[in-house]
Amino acid sequence: MTNLEKYDKAFIDAFNVAAEDLPNLKYQDIAAWDSVGHMSLMANIEDSFDIMMEVEDIMDFSSYAHGKEILKANYEVDIEA
Amino acid sequence: MLTGKNIVVTGCLQGIGKATLKTFAENGANVFACAYAANDEFENFCKDLADKNAVKITPIYFDMSDNAAVVAAAKKIQSAKEEIHGLVNIAGINNDALFPMVTYKDLFDTFQVNFFAQIIFSQYIVRLMQRKKTVGSIVFTSSISALDGNRGQTAYGASKAALIGAMKTMALELGEFNIRVNAIAPGVIKSPMTDKLPENILASKIKTMDIPRLGEVAEVAKLYLFLMSDLSSHFTGQVIRIDGGMG
Repeated sequence: MTNLEKYDKAFIDAFNVAAEDLPNLKYQDIAAWDSVGHMSLMANIEDSFDIMMEVEDIMDFSSYAHGKEILKANYEVDIEA
Repeated sequence: MLTGKNIVVTGCLQGIGKATLKTFAENGANVFACAYAANDEFENFCKDLADKNAVKITPIYFDMSDNAAVVAAAKKIQSAKEEIHGLVNIAGINNDALFPMVTYKDLFDTFQVNFFAQIIFSQYIVRLMQRKKTVGSIVFTSSISALDGNRGQTAYGASKAALIGAMKTMALELGEFNIRVNAIAPGVIKSPMTDKLPENILASKIKTMDIPRLGEVAEVAKLYLFLMSDLSSHFTGQVIRIDGGMG
């Protein structure tokens, strides 16, 4: 599984959303991405990439797109690689 | 009582923490034994305990006055890839001073170790529990100083009271994830911390107890054992005094 597939799966498993809706998805755009859903998403991402995210990054993780930037900048996880 | 459980304990170098580590190992738990700094005596203690009880004891060293070290320790525990069933926060410091002489530094340093670091550390451990949907238990070590006040303990008592406030909210938020959160409030327990107290002060404390003697660290360890075990499966959001009936 590529990093992008793992990343997408983390969102799909957490929110039950379609893959085509992911690129523009932002925090609280959908009912499932509330604060509780956010923690499920973070758990999925941490599990998928075997990382432990800083609380500041969890708070800053505001969209599907920005999440990619955070993972690349702070955890050496390049989703597009 | 704890066979198969993996438990994180802070403050294991001495006193209540060390007794708790021993009690947990004797009851079958694997323990991430967190301590301020490594020394041969502690390393050997952990090794002997592990061999004797056929459990795994993993020493983790970090300074709770350093938040980066606290986070690094949590990540080290995560890297072991074990399910974490329990966390017992015991590490603490005490900067006694009468109220007019309490400095901002006293307050800050005490809160850093006794409160801020413990909350940050607990956040990471809770996430490990939630990630694996573990039925977990967290215990904070408050104090009767938080409940009753104690001369010279403005900073210490306030930091221990802060833990109670956090514990109550954590219990509310984490109950639905099957994570219980409680605090214990020890009275005067025979430990390196109380060894520094003058005899007359100890004697005056003992006079106020229904059971007129200092508590033993092993007695406190047994309370943690109960709270980590399934015997306490419906306990959450509680502060339990263990003080020989002081009052």
